[in-house]
Amino acid sequence: MGTPLDLFAAASAEGAWTVGEVTRRARVVIEAGLPPLWVRGEVSGFKAWRSGHWYFTLRDKACQLRCVMFSKDNRRLPAAPADGMQVFTFGRPTMWEEKGEFRLTVLELLSTEQGGLWKLAFEKAKAALLKDGLLDPARKRRLPPFPRRIAVVTSPDGAALRDIEAVMARRWPLAELVLVAAQVQGDGAEASVCAALARLAHLELDVAIVGRGGGAAEDLWTFNSERVARALAAVPVPVICAVGHETDVTLCDLVADVRAPTPSAAAEAATPDRTDVLVHIAHLAERLARGLTQRSQRVLDRLDRTGDRLGGAIGARLERSRALLTAHSARLDALSPLKILARGYAVATGADGRVLKRVAQLSAGTSFRLRVTDGAVGARVDRSGESS
Amino acid sequence: MDFGKQLERLEAIVRRLEAEDLDLDEALKLFEEGVERLRAAREQLTQAELKVKKALKDEGAGR
Repeated sequence: MGTPLDLFAAASAEGAWTVGEVTRRARVVIEAGLPPLWVRGEVSGFKAWRSGHWYFTLRDKACQLRCVMFSKDNRRLPAAPADGMQVFTFGRPTMWEEKGEFRLTVLELLSTEQGGLWKLAFEKAKAALLKDGLLDPARKRRLPPFPRRIAVVTSPDGAALRDIEAVMARRWPLAELVLVAAQVQGDGAEASVCAALARLAHLELDVAIVGRGGGAAEDLWTFNSERVARALAAVPVPVICAVGHETDVTLCDLVADVRAPTPSAAAEAATPDRTDVLVHIAHLAERLARGLTQRSQRVLDRLDRTGDRLGGAIGARLERSRALLTAHSARLDALSPLKILARGYAVATGADGRVLKRVAQLSAGTSFRLRVTDGAVGARVDRSGESS
Repeated sequence: MDFGKQLERLEAIVRRLEAEDLDLDEALKLFEEGVERLRAAREQLTQAELKVKKALKDEGAGR
């Protein structure tokens, strides 16, 4: 039955709804009937407006749904979705009254693909860095063998700083460690790390370490920021990147001169081990001594030959030269890296075989042995001296 | 003195002493210098203590 349709009754200013009334009513009905919900579909027709708002359509095989994601909501995302990407969106179904269009106001957007938006953002930034030559292996600088000043860009109270400090104190305490404090995660980390990296140019450095301890993968985002990677590339000295993640390579890792798996490893890469250097020095000492010995021997041989031919007055002079060489040879012995005890022209040893180095050990009347290059003589202290 | 330079000089001295036909005076002089640099280098290696400082806020801040 129902009310018979009077075609003319409502066709009047009083009986008809305005467009605004209908769309407003539709909005109320939609919003009341469809609470915020998750929708999945494929992105198409994506467009980012200058205002920062994103407009796109979600679709499945047969249907589509217009979507908007406002800049205040999309700002948190690492990248915009690409057309064709499968996504999950959380949004509020509503009526866009101005256009009379049913749409979804998207509040959250997740990609269902491997790595999702993070991966996409990473690849985009990486492509940009590659294009600018910042990933060129030829850019990688060698680390200085004996660094004097090493800067560390990290959190002032993180484990990374403590680890680096411990390794440097053990391996290469000759260097000075300069902490350039930065916030390495959370809101504002990107700007903080960029500012710290920019400051490195004004500190007289040999090498810099940028690092942080381990953490959740999403906390690494600071080091995947293109801006941070570019700031790192602009540092005038070699940079070691240690953001504490074995599996994920960040953009900063790619741009840095050296990548280290942990802050401790970065400190090891930055410094020589002083134990190794001491061994090297001992070898140099041996070579130095041998070098002079050989040279002296050659001169001595020549003096002997000359002395045979001359004799007399010149013989005395040759004798003095020989004595001088002999004395120097004794110094070589003293130089031996295993027992750098005395560097005199002869080594005095007491009855117990100990080297006598001080006036206090040589009181008047003390007998001792004086070792010279070709043997030893017994000797006695004539007068006691005073230490100077 | 900077350790790297110290070591470089020391290596140069050793090489000269080994390779070149120096007169004895010069060899002795080099040797003396070598001994002094060895001593200094060893002292640096064994006595240094790590210095840690913080870059002050204004140091290197946008100049």
